[in-house]
Amino acid sequence: MSILAYNGGCVVAMRGKDCVAIATDHRFGIQAQTISTDFKKVFNIAPRMFLGLTGLQTDILTVRDRVMFRKNLYETRENREMAPKPFSAMLSSFLYEHRFGPYFIEPVIAGLDPKTFEPFICNMDLIGCPNVPDDFVVAGTCAEQLYGMCETLWRPNLEPDDLFEVISQSMLNAFDRDAMSGWGATVYVIEKDKITERTLKTRMD
Amino acid sequence: MALAEICKISNASYMRPTAWATDDVNELKSYASNFENPYTLAAPPFANPVENLNKIQANADKTGIKIEFDHGTTTLGFKFKGGVILAVDSRATGGQYIGSQSMKKIVEINDFLLGTLAGGAADCVYWDRVLSKECRLHELRNKERISVAAASKIMANIAHEYKGMGLSMGMMLAGYDKRGPGLYYVDSEGSRTAGNLFSVGSGSIFAYGVLDSGYDYNLEDEAAQELGRRAIYHATHRDAYSGGIIRVYHMTKNGFKVISNEDCEMLHYKYQAEKAAQ
Amino acid sequence: MSFLSIDHFSDYKVHGAQRPDFSPYESNGGSIVAIAGDDFAVIAADTRLSSGYSIHSRTQTKLFQLSPLTVLGSTGCWCDTLSLTSLMRVRMQMYEHTHLRTMTTDAVAQMLSITMYNRRFFPYYVSNILAGIDKNGKGVVFSYDPIGHCENAKCRAGGTAGPLLQPVLDNQIQLKNMNLDEKDKPILTKERAVSVASDTFISAAERDIYTGDFVEIKIITKDGIESMTINLRKD
Repeated sequence: MSILAYNGGCVVAMRGKDCVAIATDHRFGIQAQTISTDFKKVFNIAPRMFLGLTGLQTDILTVRDRVMFRKNLYETRENREMAPKPFSAMLSSFLYEHRFGPYFIEPVIAGLDPKTFEPFICNMDLIGCPNVPDDFVVAGTCAEQLYGMCETLWRPNLEPDDLFEVISQSMLNAFDRDAMSGWGATVYVIEKDKITERTLKTRMD
Repeated sequence: MALAEICKISNASYMRPTAWATDDVNELKSYASNFENPYTLAAPPFANPVENLNKIQANADKTGIKIEFDHGTTTLGFKFKGGVILAVDSRATGGQYIGSQSMKKIVEINDFLLGTLAGGAADCVYWDRVLSKECRLHELRNKERISVAAASKIMANIAHEYKGMGLSMGMMLAGYDKRGPGLYYVDSEGSRTAGNLFSVGSGSIFAYGVLDSGYDYNLEDEAAQELGRRAIYHATHRDAYSGGIIRVYHMTKNGFKVISNEDCEMLHYKYQAEKAAQ
Repeated sequence: MSFLSIDHFSDYKVHGAQRPDFSPYESNGGSIVAIAGDDFAVIAADTRLSSGYSIHSRTQTKLFQLSPLTVLGSTGCWCDTLSLTSLMRVRMQMYEHTHLRTMTTDAVAQMLSITMYNRRFFPYYVSNILAGIDKNGKGVVFSYDPIGHCENAKCRAGGTAGPLLQPVLDNQIQLKNMNLDEKDKPILTKERAVSVASDTFISAAERDIYTGDFVEIKIITKDGIESMTINLRKD
């Protein structure tokens, strides 16, 4: 089994019309054994930006802490909020610093630009190769299932409520076909003036 | 080729010079040899299939060839004063992918004999089918139903015959015969054990916890059924490879009864609500 | 395989040279989707036959009509598909000659399972889905693992894009996670089944390199089999 699938879990982010959504499952397991069902892999790192990390749990927490530190340093030095685009560039170079002993994580970034409110989503591989599409990004043990769902359900210019519906259905049906993720899900919809957090009722097996 | 003669593998289909085979029908039959005799499976063109199939698997990253058999998971069975309870989940996984959420892991061999399956799904289903044929033949020959002990012995003999070839089975056989309720555990290593309480599969460690704390030989029917159901539910919650529908069967002296087929999702929220109400 | 390995001929070993062992299997790609309705069954498969990054054929059908009411979709190692399907055809003809009637879909399903299990120790590397009309006139779908475990399902996806397609079918056909009232549930018509099947293939062709070119759809009813082809990405 791949080390990236040791703890299980998945994250998906989508672009909508002037909004983005990011969803995470709640499972933290050790291979087949589910240890806890309240581990959210998505972290709020700026007022309109979320970072989702899937993969090895210990690395998820380490990477979160270390990039938070770098982000805070940036904000202190520059005296302004960090936008998603420079943040992803920073994360990418941070991961590449560990090219030959990487953190076993796959990050997903979703947010709105603090000035222009332009939606932004991005994902990377474990050594920081960035990918910035205009539809959706997925990561985790059920990436294939998520690709199938998102590819079918996603349309351009979804309104926040529709985007929520699309991302929830994608997430739920994808992880229902994956043994290593699930056990609850949370969806964040990020708009210009508000962030909505919703917890989904899911299968618990 | 002398060794081949001694080992009788020169008769195997792949050893025969097919180019000048005259008897087409016999050749064809050899490709489906198990139609006439279910015990004669095709011999592989290499020794030691366990090791060699694993080698093909080990190259999966490079070749994209992954032969992943469906695997079944948490099953349990116990005897009590009212007969035997069997409870199983219904998830089949190939690797991490959930191939099915609605698999039937209890095989109805006949009205007085049930088999549960864990391990390789195809192995269990195929040999249960062979077993059910043997049981029916026993009935016709001897004018009485086969005992659970005899049926489980047939199964154990099959497993022993193929030991070391890579079959993967962990099954319980539950029945009711003139000696009363019977429960046997048989696996592909060839072991066969009679007992009062078993759980088999990757979720069995979780099921045993619940089962041991709630088990009593003198349970009432309903309490026993609920114990089985609850043990499987807790296993599905903790074990990634178990889930789907929880099926509970009850074997009584009048044959088996299907007690329930409930979805894990519904059961989870029902148990949650009960816990909150307390 | 061990008997062909260079390890047995140590004199010929070259230090540092890598020799991949001969493999009796190859993955030729392709995907199948099958959906069972009340009085019909729909089965669809793409027509790309590939090996690694190269494409052998863009128009190779993966659907095998075994009887007027039964169609088998088969992908995986193409040579195994061919030998398995021709063996099935011959056995079905033998059945017809012996019993003077065509095998029902349920009988074919059971026979396929046993035929595949015969090769338990050197499996056919195939992903099979069988669709047809059963003896009661209802649509049925059976899916198989490589050693012949057979399961009756309402809808099923298999092949290289199986994990992409299956959750979409769960959602759109089985209406999983939809929480709809009974009256709001869409009825599964032939048209809906065909449109879901073709939509899933369009999605799969975006993300799976082994799926593409065309999707061939067969609609099986008691009156016969209707065939159609829809274009997919060709890159």
